[in-house]
Amino acid sequence: MKKKTNLAILYVVLTVLSAVTLSPLAFLFINSFKTQSEIIGSPTALPEQWNIGYIIRAAGEIDFFRSLTITFVVTVLSVALIVLVSSLAGWIIARSKTRLSSLALYMFTAAMLIPFQAVMYPLLSIFETAGLKNITGLIIMYGGFGLSLSVFLYHGFAKSIPRGIEEAALIDGAGAMRMFFSVIFPLMKSTTATVIILNALWIWNDYLLPFLVIGNGSNRTLTLELYFARMTAGQFGNPWELIFPAVLISIVPIVTVFLFLQKYIVRGVADGAVKG
Amino acid sequence: MDKYYKKWFLPVVTPAAILFFAVIVIPFAAGVLYSFTSWRGTYFAGGGVFESFVGFDNYIAAFKNPRFTNAFFYTVKFTLLAVVVINVVALVLALMVTSVRQGAGVYRTVFFLPNLLGGLALGFIWQFIFQNVFSDILFGANGIVSIPFLTNMLQDSNKALIALVFMVTWQMAGYMMIIYITGLNNIPADLYEAAQIDGAGKLQQFKVITLPMLMPAITIVFFLTLANCFKLLDQNVALTDGNFNTRLLAMQILRTTRDTAPPDYGMAQAQAVIFFVLIAAVTLIQLSVTKRREVELS
Repeated sequence: MKKKTNLAILYVVLTVLSAVTLSPLAFLFINSFKTQSEIIGSPTALPEQWNIGYIIRAAGEIDFFRSLTITFVVTVLSVALIVLVSSLAGWIIARSKTRLSSLALYMFTAAMLIPFQAVMYPLLSIFETAGLKNITGLIIMYGGFGLSLSVFLYHGFAKSIPRGIEEAALIDGAGAMRMFFSVIFPLMKSTTATVIILNALWIWNDYLLPFLVIGNGSNRTLTLELYFARMTAGQFGNPWELIFPAVLISIVPIVTVFLFLQKYIVRGVADGAVKG
Repeated sequence: MDKYYKKWFLPVVTPAAILFFAVIVIPFAAGVLYSFTSWRGTYFAGGGVFESFVGFDNYIAAFKNPRFTNAFFYTVKFTLLAVVVINVVALVLALMVTSVRQGAGVYRTVFFLPNLLGGLALGFIWQFIFQNVFSDILFGANGIVSIPFLTNMLQDSNKALIALVFMVTWQMAGYMMIIYITGLNNIPADLYEAAQIDGAGKLQQFKVITLPMLMPAITIVFFLTLANCFKLLDQNVALTDGNFNTRLLAMQILRTTRDTAPPDYGMAQAQAVIFFVLIAAVTLIQLSVTKRREVELS
């Protein structure tokens, strides 16, 4: 009997906490359909009229489809770059038993301690001189910042792959690259999933790097559009009837992806942590 | 085979090495060097890098700058508080979610959800919640319960710190919960059975089995929360934008160059180097302390 009541209490607590967790999002949703005076006057009430006009206006204001496309392209290319170079590096570091190889692993891992702020200004100055203060430069920078953790994860997994598999492929006469991509890379797909998820989550929502590289330029990412919409609008008070719908549509894509892939995402987060 | 791998090491590792040097190693080295010069961002006052060498002047100036020292202590306070709160909340959530059979997946999804959103988007929502919902409807003079401390939280540096901890916990606890859940699921069930036979109560089981077996997960969660809180920026920008002395270090370094004309990149870079030393030291100490406990307990 006591066990049953305990379990019932547990469910009540969990449900209340879930409601608290979801309330800001519910709140965001209902206020995306209201007028400014309705939002200020009765923020927690349902809208008198579900007017989608505000969402349409906000989508125009943050140039939704263009910024969504840019964010998507930047995220995909950066993650692809990270996967490609760090899987190769992680694997060869695990295989090669030289002093240079241990030094490489040590450097990649130690770099995790360097905060972005410590390299930010010189990095921008160097990339600007090189003519890379643009989307291409942004992708290269993400590639660099994603390396440390990814090389570390791939290295950890590659160590567990028996060398015999590679020896067999070599006897068949495959070159190193061909062997890697046809034999080793497919075996590491669980690590690849983790690397994709951890990096994509971070790059998709990143604000600072696009702010510094793209800034007020024309190729703004979703987060950047949101920031500038808030800043320009903020000069004339707080037009929440623009901010709420803008925030809402900017989070719809990633929440949708999460709901479809949540099994993999949760596993990716757990794996990344345990091996990291 | 060893010869073969040795031969292929350089060609295969080179792409990663080039990226690594271009994005991290070279800028980092340049950053340390520039922190000893009067760098202005686009030029060096007094000619080249070496003509504008000023020794430790930038570091002295940084520590004499009240904005920097304020941000320094504000960051330390925020991190200490946030790390403890996030860890406790995440662990409690994980313990609860792993104790129920039905619906565990749904609860897990719900608690993880805030993590998907960027700090900026979240900050804007919470800004409104703190300003309007907390101040008027919930805790205002005519609210549900009148708690003056929880009103106008963003206009006072101490209250804003609590508000930031509140929001960051809401965002990060679900992520850390996932790591704790994985850790909890890795504890073999027969340990608990054996303890039960020996007559250990629930609390004792938690102390002698759960906590020690969870040490690896605790190490990681501490590492991640420490790093994330020290480097917090987006939420800080969105919630108060540094007004009322609420700048954390990350924002302080970013805004230093806008505080003066001409922009003092040299001093900003000195602050960035101090920031690096702080993070590296704290992280290494934390890792060695929790790792040692892992060994002792296992």
